[in-house]
Amino acid sequence: MSTSTIVGTRDDEQVPPAGGQRRRRRTSHQVEASAHHRGPMWTVAGYAGMVLVVLVIAVPLFWILLTSFKERGDIYVRPAQWWPDPPTGQNYSELTTRIPFFDYVRNSVIITSATSVAKIVLGVISAYALSLLRFPGRSIVFLVVIAALMVPNQITVISNYALVAQLGWRNTFQGIIIPLAGVAFGTFLMRNQFLSLPGEIIEAARLDGAGPMKLLWRVVMPMSWPTLVAFALITVVNEWNEYLWPFLMSDDETTAPLPVGLTFLQNNDGVTNWGPVMAGTVLAMLPILVLFLFLQRQMIKGLTAGAVKS
Amino acid sequence: MQSSVTQPQSATPGSGGPPPEVGPPPRRSSGRAWEWSLAALLLLPNLVLLIVFTYRPLLDNIRLSFTDWNISSPIANPVGLSNYIEWFGRDDTKIIVRNTLVFTVATVGISMAVGLGLALLLDQKLKGRNIVRSVVFAPFVISGAAIGIAFQFVFDPQFGLVRDLLARIGVASPDFYQQPGWALFMVTVTYIWKNLGYTFVIYLAALQGRRADLDEAAEIDGATAWTRFRRVLMPQLRPTTFFLSITVLLSSVQVFDIINVMTRGGPQGNGTTTLVYQVYQETFVNQRAGYGATVATVMFVILLAVTVVQVRFMDRGKQA
Amino acid sequence: MNEFSRRGFLGLAGAAGVAGLAACAGTGTSPTTGGGGGSSNTIEFWSNHPGNSKPVEQQIIKAFEAANPSLKVKLVDAGKNYEEVAQKFNASLAGGSLPDVVVVSDVTWFNFALNKQLSPLDELLSTAKIDTSDYVDALYNDYNLDDKHYALPFSRSTPLFYYNKDLWKAAGLEDRGPKDWDEFLTWAPKLKAAAGSDKIVMELPDGSNYLDWVFQNIVWGYGGAYSKEWTPTFSDPNTVKAGTYLQNLAKDGYLKLSKDPAPDFTAGIVGCSMMSTGSLGGVAKDAKFPVGTAFLPGDGNCPTGGAGVGIPANIPDDRKKNALKFIEFLTNAQNTVTFTQATGYMPVRKSAVDLPEEKAFLEKNPNAQTAIEQLPKTRSQDNVRVLLPGGGARIGKGLDQIVQGQDVATVFKGLDAESQQVFDSQIKSKLGA
Repeated sequence: MSTSTIVGTRDDEQVPPAGGQRRRRRTSHQVEASAHHRGPMWTVAGYAGMVLVVLVIAVPLFWILLTSFKERGDIYVRPAQWWPDPPTGQNYSELTTRIPFFDYVRNSVIITSATSVAKIVLGVISAYALSLLRFPGRSIVFLVVIAALMVPNQITVISNYALVAQLGWRNTFQGIIIPLAGVAFGTFLMRNQFLSLPGEIIEAARLDGAGPMKLLWRVVMPMSWPTLVAFALITVVNEWNEYLWPFLMSDDETTAPLPVGLTFLQNNDGVTNWGPVMAGTVLAMLPILVLFLFLQRQMIKGLTAGAVKS
Repeated sequence: MQSSVTQPQSATPGSGGPPPEVGPPPRRSSGRAWEWSLAALLLLPNLVLLIVFTYRPLLDNIRLSFTDWNISSPIANPVGLSNYIEWFGRDDTKIIVRNTLVFTVATVGISMAVGLGLALLLDQKLKGRNIVRSVVFAPFVISGAAIGIAFQFVFDPQFGLVRDLLARIGVASPDFYQQPGWALFMVTVTYIWKNLGYTFVIYLAALQGRRADLDEAAEIDGATAWTRFRRVLMPQLRPTTFFLSITVLLSSVQVFDIINVMTRGGPQGNGTTTLVYQVYQETFVNQRAGYGATVATVMFVILLAVTVVQVRFMDRGKQA
Repeated sequence: MNEFSRRGFLGLAGAAGVAGLAACAGTGTSPTTGGGGGSSNTIEFWSNHPGNSKPVEQQIIKAFEAANPSLKVKLVDAGKNYEEVAQKFNASLAGGSLPDVVVVSDVTWFNFALNKQLSPLDELLSTAKIDTSDYVDALYNDYNLDDKHYALPFSRSTPLFYYNKDLWKAAGLEDRGPKDWDEFLTWAPKLKAAAGSDKIVMELPDGSNYLDWVFQNIVWGYGGAYSKEWTPTFSDPNTVKAGTYLQNLAKDGYLKLSKDPAPDFTAGIVGCSMMSTGSLGGVAKDAKFPVGTAFLPGDGNCPTGGAGVGIPANIPDDRKKNALKFIEFLTNAQNTVTFTQATGYMPVRKSAVDLPEEKAFLEKNPNAQTAIEQLPKTRSQDNVRVLLPGGGARIGKGLDQIVQGQDVATVFKGLDAESQQVFDSQIKSKLGA
């Protein structure tokens, strides 16, 4: 068995979450691949660049974090207070006592994981059909999919609310999840990715008699791993932060996700104590950042294409 | 393979220019019944969802754009084209379209360029890059509402970081919240800051998936860094750039949260109002849902036209 | 194959079912179906919990359920502010499952009433033999359209004049608010001298954040108004005078606008401001200087604000009856006291101030006392701000422009024309219908 088998084997190695071993092996490949690109000057410039990036991007993040440890009266002061004095965990405990924080977390996890799984599966299979299968009207279908990205949700919510309410799905998870499950962005991203794969490999796999599903799982997906990871990350982030639709659909903490729940810390007709709000923001951000740290290690250079060539 | 340095897109169908013939081989090109039904099977669930929850409301919206529908009213009376005529004739349309244009062009251009730069930087083998990658991605994870508050500590004319820094060199801070130009600048910067994580991750994924052999070939050829960037890397990233140019455009046109939290479309009423914010304002604040639907429809048509042009010129993966 | 086609068929049937539903769920054309969620003995209460009041609301609900064992109240998180509650209520109007009770703000209630989506309460009130004369008149009459009332006052606020007592002392001023805006003008230079160059004498919210609400006080103080009934009166010389006053304050460096004056005031950067009574608790807690509060300058020039509770029109009568029972309970003397002490809102009942716990509370909180003493001096807001769609935003925009130096007369003339046009096209035909 030729190419497809080779690729297939690699696929088996790459798809599971990287255990330490495998990761190390691939990383060492990568060192090889990119180490000889740079002289010391590039390295210095690289580190300088990183410092600059951290300075510019991290400062507002740092403020969010600091504020979450400040006492109420220290948040708005002039000159600005660069270190909480004294640091307080008060905001975090207030966060968990003033609102049912963990209920919102649970709902967020349910909504985000269900919606993300649905979107990733639908996105991949739609993209596969749009890139590697041939059928009449393919370009039109593609355009129909991306045109969905042009419809702002401000205009869809009212009409969808009516539909979902009549199904009796208000304040239910399916009522929140199903209307969000259609995927335009991911279809577009993955289609683009699949189209960019080397035609000769796909062709070779086909000649080997790989059926469409085998082609997808064994050949196309493994070579698209970094993009799939990016797709997954962005989808998870978007669903995690989804606000307008879950807000309209949910009635209380039985279904409302975090972004909705956190707004109840704000005082809508008076002075808001931003400490707990920032604490909530930090806690809402953490799981996703952990996920990112984990997943970005997966985005290791796909060696497949080059390896197969040689 | 060597020839790919000079003609990467045609010689190698790698992550760069897709091959002219990606689909099934010619013998199948007429399509076969199984292929059609498989495609239908794979596409149907997604299409049904999009049609029911996106296109049905869109059609509803287009219909309503020809009415005087008040958001709270059970009745919508047809008014023909009068909403459209009003939109094209109104003074604020010009300002809002200009705001949308400035905001979109700036965010698309800058966030793509900087996102690519960051991806290139953090694709290097540098110590601590994982942490820095997370830092770059982190703003994208935070909700727009929290960012609006965090950036108050950057731009606030009383407490802000910018005020602090400018004061050190003896310059007075502009009032970012009250002067329309500066307010637009402020929301643009904030939006770019938040969404760098997006362009960064997509470009990073593309870099990770690129063809190492092309780079090596170029290196062997002794091409300069700039030549390698322009002749090898950029063509390889072209599909990604195409993808981002569309998605960043579409999402920045639809910015809502950040504007709502930071300026509510002000100062002076429409200093930072963009088309989508106008849709919201007209529909839910002014209760003129019919007129809001008109703005949304106009916006949809403009975006569709722009995207079709982009697809025409850039998407070479499309089968002829 | 059999399996496949069956599934295909089911799929199609499902799709058809959805399409069928979609057809009748069209927005804006089909008359709202009543009913929806909620049985007749569960009262669904859609609230944004004004002033972080969810715990108090729950407490009142518990008391209500104890007093009416056959009724249940379901408290729904309907938004983070009044706009969001209105948005959610609008969504439910298009698609059924209406609440029984909904919080409506001083600007959102009118459009619902005008489009016959809120029940007029008068008949229900008289059937239930509820005496409305105990409601503070200005607050009760805010919800009046064509001699019918569409809501009962709930979380009502007014602006107050907040000042920094330390600065007042440094400027050698008496410990009180200005009698009128002319007097304030004589104070301003002294305040500025005492404040120094990096502080601000007065800060007001900008036009995107309800400058148009507090500015009514200045307009009325100079004998002007945004409108008389439905006729816009921005070009009235007295209104223009007030606009010019605002512009000059800014020009002379006494006034700055800001997204939110509360933190600036609390930090001691700002000498005085006009802010909602709702801010009282937070400001008093955070400020590191003695906070003074006073009536808004002038006499009888204080605009009302905040929200009330209404009942949707298209729910069955027995649900309305229960809903009314609940909102009467929610706003009775006892509960309005419980509610206001927890939030900083105004008691909406006249008899509330005579309750012993309120008396004790006011003794301990002299600033809250100011707000209550001001209550009889309040005045219902001008129609073109609160009743005209987008009125607040429209006027706010004009005021922003004035503060930035645009010609007052021109801006106000524009406001007259725009307001008139909006009235003619959106309101006129529906009045008295």
